Formats: sequence, structure tokens, C-alpha cells
Amino acid sequence: MIGQIFNATLETLYMIFLSGFLASALGILLGVGLYLCSRIRRLKGLYALLDLIVNIFRSIPFIILVILLIPVTKRVMGTIIGPNAAVFNLTIAAIPFMARLSENSFNAVPSGIIDSSNSMGLNRWQMVTRVLIPETLPDQIGNVTVLLINLVTYTAIAGAMGAGGLGQLAINYGYYRFQWDIVLYAVIVLVVISQLIQFTGGKLSRTLRR
Amino acid sequence: MILSVEKLNLSFEDKSGKRKILDDVSLSVKEGEIVGIVGLSGAGKTSLLRTLNLLQPVDSGTIMFDGLNIVGLSESEVRRIRKKIGVVFQSFNLFRYRTVYQNIGFPLKIQGIAKSEIKSRVLNIVSELGLDHRLNAYPSQLSGGEQQRAAIARALVMDPKMIFLDEPTSSLDPRTTRRLLDLVVNLNEKHGLTFVVVTHDMDVIKRTCDRVAYLQNGKLDFFGPTHEFFVKIESNEVSDFGAPLEVERSFFSGKKKILRVLFWGECTHDPVLWETAKENDVMINILYGKIEELKNGPFGTLIIGIEGEKQALFVEKLRESVFYLEEVI
Repeated sequence: MIGQIFNATLETLYMIFLSGFLASALGILLGVGLYLCSRIRRLKGLYALLDLIVNIFRSIPFIILVILLIPVTKRVMGTIIGPNAAVFNLTIAAIPFMARLSENSFNAVPSGIIDSSNSMGLNRWQMVTRVLIPETLPDQIGNVTVLLINLVTYTAIAGAMGAGGLGQLAINYGYYRFQWDIVLYAVIVLVVISQLIQFTGGKLSRTLRR
Repeated sequence: MILSVEKLNLSFEDKSGKRKILDDVSLSVKEGEIVGIVGLSGAGKTSLLRTLNLLQPVDSGTIMFDGLNIVGLSESEVRRIRKKIGVVFQSFNLFRYRTVYQNIGFPLKIQGIAKSEIKSRVLNIVSELGLDHRLNAYPSQLSGGEQQRAAIARALVMDPKMIFLDEPTSSLDPRTTRRLLDLVVNLNEKHGLTFVVVTHDMDVIKRTCDRVAYLQNGKLDFFGPTHEFFVKIESNEVSDFGAPLEVERSFFSGKKKILRVLFWGECTHDPVLWETAKENDVMINILYGKIEELKNGPFGTLIIGIEGEKQALFVEKLRESVFYLEEVI
């Protein structure tokens, strides 16, 4: 049993961190896109469109999104079960979430800092890489922390739908076979994972914030 | 003329309709000069500064900088111009997660200048500004005055043709203010650096400005040498910066005339009052007097009462030899 829990934990960690990494990178990229579109007059239309898409994806419950994505997942990943298929689903669900969080952080950069960067003659690329990202780094770490913890629960849901990991273990052995001790162990491990993520993220963010 | 602004117009649109922010503003800045843009809050000072710095597009007008009209340039040209103008914002706007050293070196770093050169230029400037000991501190660890000096250093490091200072003293205590003004005058005199200072602080105007542009409700109400601006204040044409001393008849008994006399330039050092009084056999009673130390010389204000047969002649003679004279009563 210990072996099973160990393997399930590894699967869960794999899903959380791989999808977390992909969603952070792509989400921040989309967040930059949203931020820039909202600030450039002739791109206001594009912003409205992106905004709508992000809202739509964020309002679909994860469990429904997984079902809706089945044909896409099958096409892209070749299968709809297992950790890799779940990583695809989790990433798709997490990108709009991360995009919105990072957009909010970009919007919170004091306008004076944007003004003074502009007055130094930065181009748009430098603005993003040298000002927006560095100036929001502690916030973005906080955002990633929130994202990862959300992914812990999402992973458990995905587990119930055939992704593997602790969620699947808890449902299959614990719930369907009445082995409540397995449910308990799975929950304890999930809580520990969440705590560790929160602790590390918080500490990192505080260190950077000065 | 390093900067000359012709008929600048700017308006903002909001729910209540169009609001005029700048109304036909024209002014110019000579190389090596310090020009103050003064006025009350909401007069359009900061908007004017933002248009000069191309952060705010204008409705109409031209801005000639270094012989080139910089209104309506393409974005890449705008960026090139901006590198020649240093701006020190009211809120300093230092990068929050970069050290003082990194902040000051930032404008050079983004231009791809070599690390060793960045280092020598930054160190050179911080020693002049007295920030040597704070190089590794973060902005949140600095005092207001230090933050401002870091912001000035960051503007200076680009070797700009001109520096804009936006409300530089608004968050400084009196001692730090004095240090800042000394620094600005020193940079101006030593390096011939041109400054445009937006302010409503009389001390800044007195100590640093060669010329003053006075904005009222978006209109340029006055543009000229600082001492002439003080004449306007003393003769109550500008009331935004405190009224001159009110003189009332009851101050004084008898049939005396009361005069307000302003001295500036040559006449400040000569005993003109005494000489003129002696020649015309008039008695003088000094009611009030003060001297302001302006950048381009002392500026004196006297309120005097006079008594004697030849009062009218005295006034006429004195008018010739002082900077400004007004009969109060």
C-alpha cells in the first residue's frame, strides 16, 4: 500500500509541477499580451476578444472542461487517460487563470514607473522584459503559488477521471472499496504538498520583495 | 534655444465635455538656463511637462527640441529624443527591486553599454551626488532625499541635454530642500546643464530659476525673468503665491504718502533712497522691508512713508533710480 501511495504521490507531483510550469510560462505570456493590448489604443478590439475568451475558459468548471476537451486531448496527446493527458487538461484550464492573475499584477505596477521607463526611451520588448516582469516578480511568485495550490485540487479531480495520482487512488481504493484509511493518507499527502508549496512560495516572494 | 514651444494646445474629454488643459502656451528655454514652470495645482504644470516629455500627445502646436520639431514623430524617433532628456518625477519612480547602483545604471544597461563603462559612469555620478554609501541599498531603504538624488543620478547618467524636475521639493524637509537646490544650481553652473522645473515652491523659484513661466488655468499668464515675476507678486498681479503686505491708512497718521519701492540689480547696492531724499528735502519713514536672494541677484522690497514739501518731485526722481515704484496710498 505504501508503494502505491508513493507512486501516486509522484504522479500527482508530476502533474502539478509540469502543468504548473507550462501554465505559468504561457499564462504570463498571455497576461503580457492582455496588458499590452489594453494599453495600446488600436488593439482595444483584440483585448476585448482575448478578455472574453479568458472569461469563458475561467467560467467552465474544470470537470466539464475535461469532458469538452476529450476530442482535443485525444488528438494532441493520443490518449485521454493517464498523467500526460491530465497535464494537457490542467494546463489548458490553468493558462487563463494565470493570465488573469499576472495581468492584474502588471496593472498594479505604479504608473509613474511606466512613465519614467517610457521617458528613458525603452522599446516595448525592453518594457516587458526589463520593467514589467522584474517589477512584478514577487507578485508573480505569489500568483504561481496560488496557481500550484489550485492545481493540487484540480489534479485530484483529474485523478477521479482517470488521470492517476492521489485523486484516483482516493476514489478507487478509498471511496469505492471503503478503505477510508487510503482516503485519509491521500488527503494528508495533498495537505502536506499544499503547505510546502505555500511555505516555499511565500518565503521566496517575501525575500524578493525586500 | 534648446527648447521652444509654440502655441501648445491640449484638452481632455470627460463626461462634462471638453476641458482645456493647455491654452496656446508658448515659451522657450535657452541652453544652460533654469526655467521654472509655476502655478497652482491644476493650472496645467504637470500636463505641460508631460507634453514636453512626449508622454502626452497634444492637440496642436509645435515643440522644437534641439532644432527639431518633436510633435508627431514616429515611436522610434520619440525614443531617440527621450534619451536626450532626463526626467526626475515627483514620486521619483525608482525601480523597486533594483539597488541604487542598478537603478542608476539602468538607462545605460538598456542601451547595451559595456559593464565597465557603466560602472565608471555610475560611480562618477554617485560621488558627485553623495550617494556612494548607498549603492547596494534598495529604494525602500532610502530616505526621501536619497531617493530623489538616486532619481537625479539616474537622469544624469544618460548625459542629457536637459533635465525636467517635477515638483522636486514637494516631499522633502527644509534641510533636504536646501541641499537639493544647491545641487541643482551647482549642476547648472558647473556642467551648464539646462533645467526645467515644475514647482509651486517659492524657494525653488528664488534660488534656482533664471526665468519663470506662470500658468493660470492652462494659460501662460507670465513668462520672463524671475525678478520681474517678483514684481508681479509684489504689485499683487499674481495672488497665487501670497499677497504683498497690506498697507492701510491707519498705520500712519498725518498727510504722508506711502510708497512701495522694489530694488533689483545695480540699485540694490547704492544709497539711492537716502540721496534722493536729501536732494529733495523729504523725510523718510521705513515701515517694512525685506530682501530676497534671487539666483540672479538680490531683490529688495521697501514700504516707506514720506513727508515733505517736494513729495511729488521725490517720487518722480526715485522712480528713475529704482527698479519699480508704486504709490500705495
